[in-house]
Amino acid sequence: MTGPASVVLDNEAVQALGAVTHPKHRRVLALIEVVNQRNQGRRRATTVLVPVAVRVEAGWDRSAPGAALANRLARARDVVLDGVAADRASQLRAAAGVSVVDATVSQVAEAAPSPTVILTSDVADMGHLAAAVGGEVRVVRV
Amino acid sequence: MAARERDLFRWLDRLDQDDESVVTSVRQPAALREALRVACELGMDATVNDATVRAVRDRLETFAQRLALEAHYAEHPEARPSLADIALAAAELDSDPLADDPVLLRRAAGEVVRVKPDATADDVLIWAAALRSARASA
Repeated sequence: MTGPASVVLDNEAVQALGAVTHPKHRRVLALIEVVNQRNQGRRRATTVLVPVAVRVEAGWDRSAPGAALANRLARARDVVLDGVAADRASQLRAAAGVSVVDATVSQVAEAAPSPTVILTSDVADMGHLAAAVGGEVRVVRV
Repeated sequence: MAARERDLFRWLDRLDQDDESVVTSVRQPAALREALRVACELGMDATVNDATVRAVRDRLETFAQRLALEAHYAEHPEARPSLADIALAAAELDSDPLADDPVLLRRAAGEVVRVKPDATADDVLIWAAALRSARASA
């Protein structure tokens, strides 16, 4: 039972964080608050990550004026998809039969400093993927 | 949001878009410098410079995120999660069994702020674990 070193956002986590009217906005803020409180206390550094494919799916253009809320609240770091990562995501997609974006989320979770938590609304599919990847990857519903 | 806060976010936004770097001189304790050098040899980071930049960036990001959260709550007070909500989120992130007992977490959140008004989610988890332990041994 250890706090996560990495938190990976999926599409709905991004949507919920960036829109005050989203029904899960407060819930995602509670999860971000944990990261902030722990980083302030320097108990253990937790990094929030967002795969670039999730940004595309969520329409999160960091340079757009409407993205300021998500940019500032999440302080999430982009994880780019290079050739090696694309190979691994392709393998995960073929093995689990999930979407391209979900495959990149699991690939990022696998490669990130462990333990890793994926914040998602799709606990069933992502849980299946989390079990398939290496390292300690857990799934938390937003 | 105040002008200086906007400046801070503008510079932080450039961190991932901008490879420009500057040489700077930082006065630091000699022992810290040596400890950093040895830690990097042991694998903490590739170089002392990487370790220093990462540490400073982590602090800045956390500080800026706190400013952003408080500015957001000032504008949208209804968006602020309660301490019990945050404690529940912490338990879930940790796979702590306390996540299955939100009633206990709410009680712990209510009690802990009486002795520690600035309690964090982790304070609530410790308090809740103590309550659970006391309940088990009663």
